[in-house]
Amino acid sequence: MTSFPTWAQRARRGLVLLAAAALTGCANFYVDGNTREVPSSELQRREPVHPVQVLFEFQTKGVANANATSLLKARVLEQVKSSGLFSEVGEAPVAGGALLGITLNNVPLTDDAFSKGFVTGLTFGLAGSQVSDGYVCTARYTPAAGAPAIVSQARHAIHTTLGSGAAPASAVKAKNIDEAVTIMTRQVVSNVLNGVSRDANFK
Amino acid sequence: MHHALLRRFGALLASAAIAALTGCASVKLPAPTASAPTVEKLRAANLAPAAAGSFAVAPGQPAELDRSLSGLRGSSVTAASGSFSQQLKDELVAALKASGLYDEKAPIVIEGLLTDSKVDAGASTGTGRLAARFAVTRGGKRVFDKELAVDAQWESSFVGAIAIPAAINQYGALYKALVAKLVDDPAFRAALAR
Repeated sequence: MTSFPTWAQRARRGLVLLAAAALTGCANFYVDGNTREVPSSELQRREPVHPVQVLFEFQTKGVANANATSLLKARVLEQVKSSGLFSEVGEAPVAGGALLGITLNNVPLTDDAFSKGFVTGLTFGLAGSQVSDGYVCTARYTPAAGAPAIVSQARHAIHTTLGSGAAPASAVKAKNIDEAVTIMTRQVVSNVLNGVSRDANFK
Repeated sequence: MHHALLRRFGALLASAAIAALTGCASVKLPAPTASAPTVEKLRAANLAPAAAGSFAVAPGQPAELDRSLSGLRGSSVTAASGSFSQQLKDELVAALKASGLYDEKAPIVIEGLLTDSKVDAGASTGTGRLAARFAVTRGGKRVFDKELAVDAQWESSFVGAIAIPAAINQYGALYKALVAKLVDDPAFRAALAR
């Protein structure tokens, strides 16, 4: 069970760090180094490729976050398009009825999350002036209406530190929060696309 | 494209910082977009295309219910297109369009009356509620009439800069949740059945 006071304290600390970043630029942002981008050349394409309808949603603790969705949607759609897995990519229904739903859920990395193994394989450190945000990306692909879905999931994290504290191990420093979010999104989306493309039922 | 995104994230952070310092903000809800789970359900349900008719505040409810919200510690939220009932209609239309089930000239018409809309960015717990009475007419005959409501509860904060954005986000998400609840309703599906 998540300890609310602990979570709240970390949320406040995160806000202070972000506000400080916006005002002074002295916060440092690190993209976790354990989730790497899968190059589009490594995705498993199946011929012939088909058109797909893509619906993207950013969530905050499982709740749809419309503002963040609108900020990232175009980039995610462009990444799906450039993956080469589909002949056409858009938000409208397509011939054949293929649908790819991608959700990116921002979850707090607490001791509870740690104990449940969320951060297995990710850098995790909340000591001192560091806060970490976890991201769970899920792709759900249905080749046609009513067809069984292919589900692929990947996880990532962004670490924020204030001042000259030590960098999180194996994390990559970003210029700012914008670049960190951009890199994190690209890397984690590439992993779920890879998972979908390697499913035996992908077509 | 990349730089435009960076500028927008910068603006978001700046807004958060300003909110932290001043404690109030005025926010417009984003235009509705379809969510994949709802679209997947609509597509699998073998429904006939439908149109969206009149959406308004329910009779007997104050007109302010359609345009303003209290409970945000002085901050305010407005609908993307002027009224919360229109926001609900747009949310439904977005889901139907993304499912290939929206036809302005269809004989099946879905209408809605907003019966409740509230949010409270409490110091420890936040709450929100959205309710509407939906009706479906088919060839002029009413085949569905039901009030549906969705509620949300979340951990809030004494700090306004945390509590208010969270409350606004939770309130905005209620529109998707209410449309999803409508789509899940067996009687609604029967009303739209092919």
